[in-house]
Amino acid sequence: MQTSKLYRKWMSLLLIVAMLGAGCAAPVAAPAGETTAAQPAAPQGVVTLEFWGGWTGPDANTMQSIVDRYNAEHPNVQVNLSMQAWSPLFDAFIATSSAGSAPDILAMHPQELAQFVHLGLILPLDEIIANSKVIKPENYLENAWEGNKVDGRLYGIPLDLHMHGLYYNKAAFERAGVPVPPPTPPITQDKFMEIAKRLTIDANGKSAAEEGFDANNIVQYAINAHTNHHAFFQWWSLYNQLGGKLISDDGKSCAMDLDKATQAWQFLQDLVYVHKVAPQGQTDYPRDFLDGRTAMLVDGPWRIPQLEQAAAESGFQWGAAQYPNIFGGEFAVWGSGHNFTLPSKADPNKQAAAVAFLEWMAANSAEWAKSGQLPAFKAIMESEEFQQMEGRAPFIASMPYEKLFPATPKYNEIFASNAPTPMMVMAQRIMLEAADPAVEVKTACETISAILAAP
Amino acid sequence: MRILAPAGFHASALTRRKVRWTPLLFLAPYLFLFITLRLAPSAIGLFISFTNWSAVGAPKWVGLANYQALFIDPRFRDALTNTVIFTAMAVPALVGLGLAFALFLNQPYQGRGLGRVAVFTPYVIMPTVVGVLWTWILEKDFGLLNVLLGRQIPWLVSPSWAMLGLVLAAVWSMVGYNTVLFLAGLQDIPSELYEAARIDGANAWRSFWSLTLPLLAPTAFLVLMLTFINTFQVFDLVYVMTSGGPGTSTLTLVQYVYTTAFQFFKFGYGSAVAMVIFVILVIIALIQTRAYRRGLESIY
Repeated sequence: MQTSKLYRKWMSLLLIVAMLGAGCAAPVAAPAGETTAAQPAAPQGVVTLEFWGGWTGPDANTMQSIVDRYNAEHPNVQVNLSMQAWSPLFDAFIATSSAGSAPDILAMHPQELAQFVHLGLILPLDEIIANSKVIKPENYLENAWEGNKVDGRLYGIPLDLHMHGLYYNKAAFERAGVPVPPPTPPITQDKFMEIAKRLTIDANGKSAAEEGFDANNIVQYAINAHTNHHAFFQWWSLYNQLGGKLISDDGKSCAMDLDKATQAWQFLQDLVYVHKVAPQGQTDYPRDFLDGRTAMLVDGPWRIPQLEQAAAESGFQWGAAQYPNIFGGEFAVWGSGHNFTLPSKADPNKQAAAVAFLEWMAANSAEWAKSGQLPAFKAIMESEEFQQMEGRAPFIASMPYEKLFPATPKYNEIFASNAPTPMMVMAQRIMLEAADPAVEVKTACETISAILAAP
Repeated sequence: MRILAPAGFHASALTRRKVRWTPLLFLAPYLFLFITLRLAPSAIGLFISFTNWSAVGAPKWVGLANYQALFIDPRFRDALTNTVIFTAMAVPALVGLGLAFALFLNQPYQGRGLGRVAVFTPYVIMPTVVGVLWTWILEKDFGLLNVLLGRQIPWLVSPSWAMLGLVLAAVWSMVGYNTVLFLAGLQDIPSELYEAARIDGANAWRSFWSLTLPLLAPTAFLVLMLTFINTFQVFDLVYVMTSGGPGTSTLTLVQYVYTTAFQFFKFGYGSAVAMVIFVILVIIALIQTRAYRRGLESIY
């Protein structure tokens, strides 16, 4: 049978329509990387709140269980928690905001507030929480509360703080016959260098403090040397101990004190290249600490769950101290935290429910401390339950001295850690390439000024 | 007078050309997707490159300001240099090794099928997974490569070595595709030609040089073009392995577009960089096509 042209034409059309139809009906998969708990459909009369956060890993599970508890205790509200890594989370937030909608609650870090304020995407909170009995300045650590202000107005509600501390391997200290640093106060530069030299051991068992030390055959280093963004976090601690500033008061240029900046970097660089107490080109700092390759580790309180697990599994004995006060002035240590913001494109009718959720979160989030973070809500922070948690004491003592990065709308361009920002370039050239810190801080300062001056 | 002509050819001016609907209908779904997902966004991108836009609010027209900024931007220069170096190292390796593997795997011997699978399998692994895998392989103290070499080369933590490490990972993951293309090209060459050449007294090398290579020219051209275009736009592998570091030693052009647009929220500037990449690729493609045509003329 000869198929007529008309027949063939209609069959072709049918085939094409069928293919298009199959394509359109294909289930739309969730965006890659997003971890969303199964969301049961909310029954009538229930307010649903969209809550976005960037926690991944064990943090994510802790936050999810807190949200689940809230949903169980409040049958008329359902909070849907969506989490993906911070960088794509903010991309998604900007995309959905420019389309006119936004999640009801967005978590972020205090130093990121300014850029979202600049884009007009988050609401000022002073009036919204004016009548709240829970979310009040006196209920929070002053450092945390002030750090959430941009141009004097509050834009974020603090959840927690975190900062650098100094973890140490008890067994390594015992072998070297060196007393461990106390949880507080922070040790001085002399004490730190003495410890560092005595805990750097070569293949013959000699320490860097002894004659005949073989710097080419080191089997144990005293401390880690970050080559990622934590390198400039450490620089920030030291630079603030010297009392330096970064951005001018009008926010338009770099106000770095070049001498102090150089001095701070020189200290970090010398640990690797002059004193040889820290390894060069290190990439996996926690693993090296757990393997015994370094006797100490500079890291934040989020590391504690992993250390507790190592202790339980293999008897690894660890302790924590405050980050050292190297330059002797007023103590300062890099820190950040998490906070909650209310996006401007969210449904205004749900704002009251969102605030109610955040009030509950503030008062009931002792569980969040299990993830290693330090609650900024005084009642929880000062509770005996929290104060007794292992290893937290040095971090609690550091909370008032935490120094946040300055709030600037150009935060990402200057400080982002997975991009060629002036901070990352400066840190890696100094720590990985042994570049001259004086030259690098000058270059970085000029780049920062150019970024701040651009419209 | 009636003109006799082959079917489909209408010599008379009075006859209307028949519109052939069927092929158009089959192309329609692809054309729809191509226009909405490729052509239209590219045109919009061109427009955005003349504006300042942070994805929120309306774009602000700034004319050629973004392009002017490009030319004095040291980061752009770094990205361009790095991309050129990466391409210059990876493309010859990818094309040469692809051909070598294809020649080898075209010979009849035991285990040839397994060899083909082994060469092609890395290609089906997602670039991000390849990146994580090779980050471990290139680890300075305990990575597989350094253990095999017996040295402690600081692959990804040194600006001098990072690029080479990335090229190794890229070549390992992409060479299979070129091998398959070359194999197809080789199998298109009739074996009678090789027999004839043997009868005429040609040895293996002569056969390769005078027979295989010229007949592979169209395939080689395709492979070279595809490899160049893909290598020039490398992003995911590098981003996962080094994020452009240490410093800016492995920053690539496409990563710079991503960083500028999606991390710094400067979509106008990012679009301008993307347009520059496009122009560079078009120029290179034109040069390659012209060279290929001239080369063909000299052979045939």
